[in-house]
Amino acid sequence: MKRQIPLIIVMSLGFLFAVHTFVPHKYSVDFYDWWVSWSKAISPFAVVLGVMSLFMVHGTKISRKLPNWQYSLVTIAALIFTSIVGFIWGTQEGSPFMWLFKNVQMPMSATMFSLLAFYIASAAYKAFRARSLEATVLLAAAIIVMLGQVPLGHMISKWIPATSQWILNVPNLAAKRGIMTGVGLGMTATSLKIILGIERTYLGGGD
Amino acid sequence: MNFFDRMQALDRRYIYLVVALAIIIPLLIPFNSRTDTTEPTENVYKMIDSFGNNPDKAILLCVSHDASTMAELFPMEVSILRHCFERNVKVLTICFSPPSAPLVDYAINTAKEDFPHIKSGEHYCNFGYKPYGLFLPILLGMGEDIAEAVETDAEGRKIANLKIMENIKNYDDMNLVIDFSAAATVFSWITYARVKFGANVAAGVTAVMAADNYPYLQSGQLIGMLAGLKGAAEYEKLVDVFASQQKDFSKEIIRGERVPITGDHKTYGTNIPMKFKKARIGMNAQSVAHIMMIVFIVLGNIGYFVTRKKKKLD
Repeated sequence: MKRQIPLIIVMSLGFLFAVHTFVPHKYSVDFYDWWVSWSKAISPFAVVLGVMSLFMVHGTKISRKLPNWQYSLVTIAALIFTSIVGFIWGTQEGSPFMWLFKNVQMPMSATMFSLLAFYIASAAYKAFRARSLEATVLLAAAIIVMLGQVPLGHMISKWIPATSQWILNVPNLAAKRGIMTGVGLGMTATSLKIILGIERTYLGGGD
Repeated sequence: MNFFDRMQALDRRYIYLVVALAIIIPLLIPFNSRTDTTEPTENVYKMIDSFGNNPDKAILLCVSHDASTMAELFPMEVSILRHCFERNVKVLTICFSPPSAPLVDYAINTAKEDFPHIKSGEHYCNFGYKPYGLFLPILLGMGEDIAEAVETDAEGRKIANLKIMENIKNYDDMNLVIDFSAAATVFSWITYARVKFGANVAAGVTAVMAADNYPYLQSGQLIGMLAGLKGAAEYEKLVDVFASQQKDFSKEIIRGERVPITGDHKTYGTNIPMKFKKARIGMNAQSVAHIMMIVFIVLGNIGYFVTRKKKKLD
């Protein structure tokens, strides 16, 4: 039963939604509206589930003093503190919550993301070599696109931004479209396999 | 060990130092550089401008990113909000991830400081944060009735009772959705809002995500796109040249126009606030950083070829 019931739910709902997309009958529309209202009621519980999961994972790490448990303590303390601040004083401009967001969250997130620039520069210097014809083409394309994105490229020659745009509009677009077509076909095949009960790995392993 | 050998074995901390200086110095000492606008950015601008002073039209800004990508996306949001406030375009905002919610507030407050007449619920409305589980129901529901799909705004008011929602029922009226994202969320707007309801969709994305969106731009499923900091800088310039001067868009004017971010100018003066030229200042840093990267790549390759030749000769 542990496997049959989820399978029946997935197969029947998958089939009904596929039918709804192609058949605009009243029953189909009513079913869809019924689903929307249920979704609205159920979705907020995902937040509760998320918070519970966070507490369980990090609570276990703290209580068992697992490696780096101190980070878990900071995570839970930050969650509780930010939530209390938000519940008491609200989240509007000028509130302590907004102060925390602007002075803690924003700089920390920006710092993490900006590290990318340093890693890319280092990797480009150490590894971006014209070792083969393909690597040379990639290298030339990268330099043209990088120059085309900044004012200097325009100042050197009007052909640099034009060539950069051509690279993005023609070879890049062709490759992207090919990948997207492949992904689309793969998704359709996987969806059909799930609806028909052939693909069952999402149920987890073993009974 | 000769110069090229030493360059090949260069400690990466020196590279980090050079990159840091290449970014920090242009940010601290802004200089005027050229900003050429591109068609995808101009198309977004023109569509928003066409809704100016029209109480029957509105645009929706969906903020789908967190603070990590603010450097690229936040100037876009501020510029578009400024454009809407300058040209009296009804603007609605929504987000489906908790870290985006303060960003929406921050962007609105940053843009509206210079427009004291702009009021929440009348000129703009922030629908606020909605759980991601409701993304699809709301996205599809707005095709029928926005007030029913969203129900309340960030301040807990019934949307149906707000003045801004007069004559705004569904995607026929809120006929432009702009998704700001560092991921692929705009595809959902294309798949459902565009295909099912015919809504116009545009994207404001980080530079690394821009390449993914070109197929949709070419097919017309995206009416326009702001790509990375460059797109934000272009939009800032468009707003400075046209919206802030209450002028209509003109390709001829924008092609030759220079808007200095430092020094005096007879039209723009010296008073462009920092918040409305952040992307252009950032583009200076990006320009220098790109040049540094190219220099690094060229130096690395010269060293590689010299060392390889030497090894062959030995």
